[in-house]
Amino acid sequence: MLGDAALLVRPALAQEAAKQDTPSSVTVPPRPISDLDVPYPDGASGAASIVLTLVVERDGTVSAVTPNLTSEPFTGLAVDAARHWRFEPATRAGAPVRVRIRMVVEFHPPALPLPDEHSSEPSESRSAQPKPAAHEPRRIREIQVRGVKVEPSRTVTLSRAEVRQIPGTFGDPFRAIEIMPGVTPIISGLPFFFIRGAPPGDVGYFLDGIRVPLLFHIGVGPSVIHPALIDRVDLYPGGYPARFGRFSGGIVSGETAQPASELHGEYNLRLFDAGALVETPFDDHRGDVLLAVRYSYTAALLSLLNSTTELDYWDYQARASYQLSPRDTLGLFAFGSYDYLGERTPTQTLTLFGTEFHRVDLRYDRELSEDGKLRLAVTGGMDLSRLPDDRFVRDRLLGTRSELNVRVSPDALLRLGSDTQLDAYDVQFNTSNLSPAQARAAGLFPTRTDLASSVRADLVLRLGDRLQITPGVRLDYYSSQGNGAVGVDPRFATRLVVTKRLNLLSTFGLAHQPPAFVVPLPGFQPGGLRGGLQLAVQQSAGLEYDLGEATSVTATVFHNGFFNMSDPLGSTQMTIAGCPPGSFPEDSLGGDRGGQPTSGRARDCGKPPMSFLPLGTVGPDNSGGGGGGTRAANALAARTNGSSYGLELFLKRRLTSRLGGFVSYTLSRSVRTFDNQQFVATFDRTHVANAALAYNLGRNWRAGTRVTFYTGLPKAADPTDPRSTRLPPFFRVDLRLEKRWQLSRRVWLSFIAEWMNATLSKEAISTTCTLQGCQTQTIGPITIPSLGIEGGF
Amino acid sequence: MNLERHRTGPWVLLALVVSSGCGAGPRPAPAPPCDQACQDGVALRGVRTAMKIAYNFAVAAQPVGAQDKMAPCVSFDGTRGGSVHVFGNASVNAIQGASIVALSYDFEDCLYSAAPDATANQNFSLTMTGLVTEGGTLSVQPTATTALAIASDSLSISGTVYDPPLDYAVSGCALSVIQNGNEVSGALCGRKAGFTF
Repeated sequence: MLGDAALLVRPALAQEAAKQDTPSSVTVPPRPISDLDVPYPDGASGAASIVLTLVVERDGTVSAVTPNLTSEPFTGLAVDAARHWRFEPATRAGAPVRVRIRMVVEFHPPALPLPDEHSSEPSESRSAQPKPAAHEPRRIREIQVRGVKVEPSRTVTLSRAEVRQIPGTFGDPFRAIEIMPGVTPIISGLPFFFIRGAPPGDVGYFLDGIRVPLLFHIGVGPSVIHPALIDRVDLYPGGYPARFGRFSGGIVSGETAQPASELHGEYNLRLFDAGALVETPFDDHRGDVLLAVRYSYTAALLSLLNSTTELDYWDYQARASYQLSPRDTLGLFAFGSYDYLGERTPTQTLTLFGTEFHRVDLRYDRELSEDGKLRLAVTGGMDLSRLPDDRFVRDRLLGTRSELNVRVSPDALLRLGSDTQLDAYDVQFNTSNLSPAQARAAGLFPTRTDLASSVRADLVLRLGDRLQITPGVRLDYYSSQGNGAVGVDPRFATRLVVTKRLNLLSTFGLAHQPPAFVVPLPGFQPGGLRGGLQLAVQQSAGLEYDLGEATSVTATVFHNGFFNMSDPLGSTQMTIAGCPPGSFPEDSLGGDRGGQPTSGRARDCGKPPMSFLPLGTVGPDNSGGGGGGTRAANALAARTNGSSYGLELFLKRRLTSRLGGFVSYTLSRSVRTFDNQQFVATFDRTHVANAALAYNLGRNWRAGTRVTFYTGLPKAADPTDPRSTRLPPFFRVDLRLEKRWQLSRRVWLSFIAEWMNATLSKEAISTTCTLQGCQTQTIGPITIPSLGIEGGF
Repeated sequence: MNLERHRTGPWVLLALVVSSGCGAGPRPAPAPPCDQACQDGVALRGVRTAMKIAYNFAVAAQPVGAQDKMAPCVSFDGTRGGSVHVFGNASVNAIQGASIVALSYDFEDCLYSAAPDATANQNFSLTMTGLVTEGGTLSVQPTATTALAIASDSLSISGTVYDPPLDYAVSGCALSVIQNGNEVSGALCGRKAGFTF
């Protein structure tokens, strides 16, 4: 695990001197072999000094960069530049080792004035201007020896600085998930995703190794974690490291920024909410404390508009750590979120929907010899979802976990871990007032206490100079309502360094998971392990190539097999509403809806390809004629098999370059098998593409645009258009414009205008037919314009 | 949001998640008084609704032709009381998008309670006994029009109608109404009665 085991060697030795005579216990620092020049950003003003903490791999690449403060645009530029630096690797006893170093990037304003802002000169002439006083970073003392490369299963990593430049993400690192290859949206703008064919309920979200039950406020709102706290977001779509488990569809892992070396803060003010973060070291940098909060004033705004809707959300994060000794650190990390959607009446406010969760993680870290590390942690928390009529689901959880990294030889790092978690679910559904179908669905979520426990190990083994393999296994035990289940998940990953620029990667893994709900919601975990564990067999192979000029490309092919999966969304096939001409059933009777049917309310035509219950079963409103409510209730308990395969491409030029951007493309097919029928998964999309461009206009103006395209959903058989198998595709354009003022060396202020779905595109979701013909039903446009101010010091 | 009306399964699930609780709202003003015609109209709605439920339990999705099924009487909350025997013939008209029915409903202490509704005349809890015949067209597609003749020589109905609930009881009454689209009108116990879906 990155950022874990560390051996502090100080002071660092001068490079050349160290090379002359190096005792086996001395680490020779890495030596830069690429240009470390970082150009002064166009249009910026003032000076800045950014301290970067780098992890330099044994092949000389930089796998992690952490700045000590945020002082844009300098920090983003320095971080992005550092990610592409190359070093002659650090060595110990002649063998290359992974190290952490710190470097300072100093920015000074240009000696000559910037070109006239009205100049129409092309960029080449600008680059011919005298170089800004920039600035080979100077190294400062501190080396931490590391032993793990970037995980082969991690397909995409985006830093916060990059995410800020992607239109449509609103600067939110977690929202950048949707642009990553392998990720298929359910609906544009709704942050629930299929990843390599796995449903949203099977995707796990983690923050510093702590499971997060949901990522975004009110579904489409901002993330529940302050963006400034996030250093980067990694996507593990399959074959992930052994430390990740209990999810069979993919892992989204956020890593928080390292403690800062000096006081800093950020704030933002938008139309609907405001947030702030402040962090400071104390006791001569032995300790660090961080506080962040976001509060929405939508409730007050809606009240002013005399709306009967009440919408409220807030979140908080608090982090403190203290170095008990040079090797021992005690830390506390707490975070939580609250959402509420209600409707005001003259006498009371009726709850429509609400979610809430809290986490407190107390951790002890000890640095062992070499790059070993021990972490012991205790996590407590509460998840809560509120429903109308005082219904709720609450999960009070308590867990422990341990992580131990031990270097067993110069070429082998052993990573061990275990964890246990108790979840006490308290469920109040008042089923006496529910329809039979709703009551049956509610019965999947009983009051009970669940236990999950795991042990895991993997070995990062270097075979020669070019090959690294990581065999591993994790063992999970689950218990719920007297039922138990065991998951044994072997994992295997390889990285082959073909050239300095080209790596070949492969992963294989099994992943078990208990039954899951439709989408991640706090407390909504089906109980009793009914139907047993889900299983995914995940494998992939790919390459990553550094094209130079801050540009890289990755290409990956994958195949996932899904067994016994609970996928209510993907396995509930699309059906056409109404009866197309000529398709009215002649051999069975339609239902009686009492009154005269209107368009879109007619019965399905004939027996659907996959019906969970016979038509005619009483549904939620007792109107009869079969129906979605009953099918939905059955779908929650249904189990299916399936598979997905495809190709993922990701081409990126760092987004904080003067001209940066990316292209992300996924070609895939996902199928399900249920009731002896195989069909294309309901949310399969053959092509998913995202492309973005960000351009520095000068004088601290920056503009960006992003285009999203994906294939339409599979379409039920349409007799009026037999050749049509898909709903229309979707296309949208997002825009972003930012103006930044550098008020002093450290103080900055930005005005940001952003618009998700500026084309006001609607999305096709179904087909409705009448005897006159069939029409595509659309949703939306889901569009989010945003104006805001951000600042920091 | 009426989830039952959604015919595209995945969206039902999404709607369940995203829009749980739709339908809540402020309480309406107090209901006006309900006279005898009003009460008969609510009772007639109860009879027609009970026939609908029985049909959907016993006949819907069945092969065309002769029908002969027993069905429980199931209220909105799943409560069961009494039974109904549905028999006769039913066929379809594919061109019109309709079911053609000639059915009899023999209610035996059949209890049906409607879900509480903010509209006062949509509330009832009634127990029915008697034989009711139904003949005509049940529209399945918007392109067809529901046209039914509903009759009974002797029908007993007891329970409550309206909100606030009013006691209601008739015994051995004749029923003769027609349904044209959403309009149901005719006579119950010799009194004019009707309602609109």
